[in-house]
Formats: sequence, structure tokens, C-alpha cells
Amino acid sequence: MFFNLAFFALVLPFSVLAYAVAPRRLRWVVLLGISYYCFYHTSKKLIVFLVATTLSCYLCGLWLASIMDKRDAALAVKGAKRRAVREEYKKHMRHVVALAVIFNLGLLVTCKYLGFLLSVAEPLLSLAGVATPIEAPRIGMPLGISFYTFMALSYVIDVYRGSVKPDRNLGRIALFISFFPQMLEGPIGRYSHTAESLTEGKGITRSNLYQGTLRIFWGIAKKLIVADRLNAFVETVFDGYAEFDGGVIALAAVLYTIQLYCDFSGTIDVAIGIGRIFDVHLPENFRQPFFSRTASEFWQRWHITLGAWFKDYVYYPVSLSAPCKQLTSAARKRFGIHYGPLLASSVALFCVWFGNGLWHGSGSQYIFFGMYYFVLIMLGGLIEPVAISAAERLGIDRDSLPYRLFQTARTLAIVFVGELIFRANGLGAGLEMLSSIAHNFTLGAFSRWDPYHMHLDIHDRNIVIAMLVVVFVIGYLKEHGLDVSAKIDSQSTLVRWVVLIVLILAIVIFGAYGYDYTPVDPMYAQF
Amino acid sequence: MSANETVIEILEEFCPGVDLETTTTLVDDRILGSLTMVALVAELEDSFDIEIPPVEIVATNFNSAAAISALVERLSDEYDD
Repeated sequence: MFFNLAFFALVLPFSVLAYAVAPRRLRWVVLLGISYYCFYHTSKKLIVFLVATTLSCYLCGLWLASIMDKRDAALAVKGAKRRAVREEYKKHMRHVVALAVIFNLGLLVTCKYLGFLLSVAEPLLSLAGVATPIEAPRIGMPLGISFYTFMALSYVIDVYRGSVKPDRNLGRIALFISFFPQMLEGPIGRYSHTAESLTEGKGITRSNLYQGTLRIFWGIAKKLIVADRLNAFVETVFDGYAEFDGGVIALAAVLYTIQLYCDFSGTIDVAIGIGRIFDVHLPENFRQPFFSRTASEFWQRWHITLGAWFKDYVYYPVSLSAPCKQLTSAARKRFGIHYGPLLASSVALFCVWFGNGLWHGSGSQYIFFGMYYFVLIMLGGLIEPVAISAAERLGIDRDSLPYRLFQTARTLAIVFVGELIFRANGLGAGLEMLSSIAHNFTLGAFSRWDPYHMHLDIHDRNIVIAMLVVVFVIGYLKEHGLDVSAKIDSQSTLVRWVVLIVLILAIVIFGAYGYDYTPVDPMYAQF
Repeated sequence: MSANETVIEILEEFCPGVDLETTTTLVDDRILGSLTMVALVAELEDSFDIEIPPVEIVATNFNSAAAISALVERLSDEYDD
């Protein structure tokens, strides 16, 4: 249903048409109806999980509103001890937030992690005399549960923090949580950012229709021309890595990273493009990640909305909790202004990266993936002052082009290793593949390349390289302040139509679909 | 000592060598990163006996000594008995 031919040929045009002809005050109802139809079509009875999350967060928002009303009334009383009053009501509000978090994470855990938890608990249950193995109930996973749960929780926490007013309109909350372009892979939006534009019901303008359509086809081009074309090769190597030498495995790690980027960012382009048609501005999820100079910077440019969610709702709350603040102050006095906060932040960073790994799934490779970045970012922080002083002593300009290229190359290597672990069929397989790269790296396989067996011939190679050059140039220009899509939008109608038609023709001619290719579902939808 | 003077005294430790009277890009130029930000927030909370919620930890509130002073004054007013 989502982002396939039927969706683009039927559902999306119908949505645009229905939205355009509906009275302005009912347009958001059209979006809500289509969102729930799409969700039901893919998840069937699991829609109860979406409804439960929506209702729970809506009710918790109202509950917080009623506590805030009582608090404000208490504060208005002359002579009231403002601080004591605030603290008292804040405690009540924390309980409401805790309830929302426990309930909704409980739903997420039930759908996504129950089998994993039972497998972990089995030895203990066995010791306690419970008959094992215990079969986990097959509930299934509602579409986009990891994404919409985080969005729903962000609403409740933002109400608690006072950055969002509690919404008394259940339909608006339901639409914010279920808006259909976001349902598959995000981006993980915030209520303060999108809710208003979702329900404003602005008409469809020519500019938005063109910009949105262009963005949709750009996303499809990245996915169909690059990502899906690389899929068979990547799958062949990762599934049968034992028969390949280190050179081929290293190439597979690089091409998997490219595949994932083109697939995920392409799907996000489609989501943002659809939003744009309805004048709903969804947040960007990627900002030229391969230009990053450090692993930390990479994560500020890759899956931005997930990183921002963890920063706002895990990193800061943990860092600013009373024990961590005490640790920060003590460590700062003991270890100085750099190492003190770094050591104290390690607790919060550990929570963030453990959560980030676990969010992707319960497999050991995902936990390892999170810990890999935790260790690297901590090491980066520890080494930074030494690297700065070493560069000064050696007379190296850290802003010079060669040094920046060195940093980018180093970051890319870190990312490729991380994605290899992420994609491997289990942690053991990932470590064996890395070992093969380290101990069995040869280029021999490339001279006796069998395109049929490897599912990658010279035709595929040339198309992938040509498309990647286009992606790189557009990314490079954006990095230097030139937004190509805005530039196209400012051209004459003829030029704009030519660009769109060329893009569609490129997809039709060079897209990896049909006889030789297996359709590939959007890769992040499984998370 | 005024709030602004206290803020500047605190910031001198976190941003050595920076002209705190004129700089308005402490966060934008990454003089204050996420690590130092947490330590700074902890120090401000202790010094002014306030709580700075995460929602207030945004660039506009921390880009200059004046912005930080305005933030602590606003939060101090909210907490005043």
C-alpha cells in the first residue's frame, strides 16, 4: 500500500483531489481519513495499537491541562509559596507523563521486543521451575510503531514542559500521530512543528504541487535507480559472506551504506514531498551526512529527527537529573572544563546510544551498533584536546582542505564499519566479516568478476556512478548554500516542466524494476 | 552583584578568551557545545537557585551573556515566592 505503484497511481492522486475539493474546515478530516485508511490497509486489526497510543496521549494531555489549571489557580492565591506550589503540581504532572511513557513503551515492547525479552528471561524462568521454551504470542507489528510512538510521547512531554498547549481536539492529535506520509519511516515530527499546518487546510498551490512532486520523484529516483539496483549484490554478499574475500566484503559494506542512504533519504524525500503538496512542512531528516568530519557530526546530519528526539527527551533529562548534575559539578572541579563534563555526560550518552541501538531492533548487532558509536564519540571527546594541541605543534591547519578531507575519509570509514555491523545477519556474522576484511583483503575477485553471480554488471555500475555524481553535486551545492530545488522553482514554467519530465524519464529508463529486479520495500520500514 | 555580572563570571570559565560583552554566537559558533552546555546549565541552576528545563536549552537563550542573563532573570521571576 505505501509508496508502491498503487499508492502513487491511485491513493495519492485521490488524496490530492479529495483535499482540493473539500471545504477548508474539513480538509484535515480528509487527511485523517486517508491516513487511517492507509494504516488499516497495511496493519488491519493492529490499528488498535495506534488508537490506544492516540487516546492515551490525548487523555494524558487533557489530564496535564487540568493539573496546570489547578496549579495556576493555586499560584494566583495571594501569599502562596510559588516554588512549593510549582513543585507539588510538577510531581503530579510527572506521574502523568510516566504513565504515558510506560503505557506506550509497553505497547512498543509488546509488539517489537517480546520475543527477545522472553529469550533473555528464559534461563531465569527455567531456574524458577517454569517450563521453557515459552512461545511468544504472535501479535505482529503495526506499521511505523517505532516512529509514531516517539511522536506521540514527544507531544505529552512537550505539554508537560509547557512548550506545547494541550490540544482538546482528538482528531488533530490523531492526525499528527498518523499523518500517512510519515507513517512508514518518519520523519519523527514534533507537534509544535507540524500540527498547525496539518489542520490549517490551506489550498493546494501550483508552487507547492510542483515542489512536492519534484521532491517525490527525486526520492523515487534515488531509491529506484541506486538503492534497489544495489540490493541484489548487497544481499548476495551479506547472506553468503563466507564465500567472498575481504575486498568484496568491504565493497559490500560501502555499497550497503550507499543503498541505505538512497533508500531511506529517498523515502523521506517522498514523505516530505507529499507533505509539501498539502502545505505541511515535515522536518528534514538528512543534511549531507557524508560531508561530516566526525562521527558525532554524522549523527547530527543522518536521521536527524531520531537524534534530536534522543537529545531532547533522553540526553538532556538524564544529564540534568540531580545525580548527573552533581556528578558534572564534581567532575568539572576535578578534571577541568573539558574532561569533567565529558565524563559526566558519559552516563547520558550511554542511555542515548543504547536506546538508539535498541530502537532499531532487539538483535545483538543493533545493541553493538549503538555501543560502537557511544565508544567512538566518547573517544573522540577524550582525544580532541590532544589532537588540537598536536596539530598546533605540528603546524597543521585543522581547517585546511587536506585536513578536512582526512577527517571526512576517517568518518566515512567509521560509518562503513558501523553499517556493516548494522546490516550483518547477527553480531557474529558482522564480526566475521570485519575479520575477513582485516585478514583476507585482496582485490583478486574484481579481476574475475562474474556479473551474473554478483548481480552487478558494468551497466549497473555505470548507472549507479552517474546517479551518485548527480546526488553528490546537488549535496555539494546545498552544503555551500545553493538549494537546487529552490533554484529550479525560480525558473520559467518550461524549464521546470523539462526538469520534471527528465527526472521521470530517468526513473523510467534507468530505474531498477521489472524482469531482472525484485521490488525492495523501504528499508527503514522494518524498524 | 547583578545577574549579568554573575553570568559573565560563570561564562569566563566556560568560554576562556571570548569577549563576552560583544559575542552573540556562543552556540552558533560551537563555543558552547552540548557537553559544556550541560555543565553550564548545572552551574547556572546552582548559582541562581532555579531550574532550567530542557525546552529552554536552545541557541537563542545561550548565544550571548545578555541572552543567558535574560533567561535566568525570567526563570528567577517565575520561581520567586
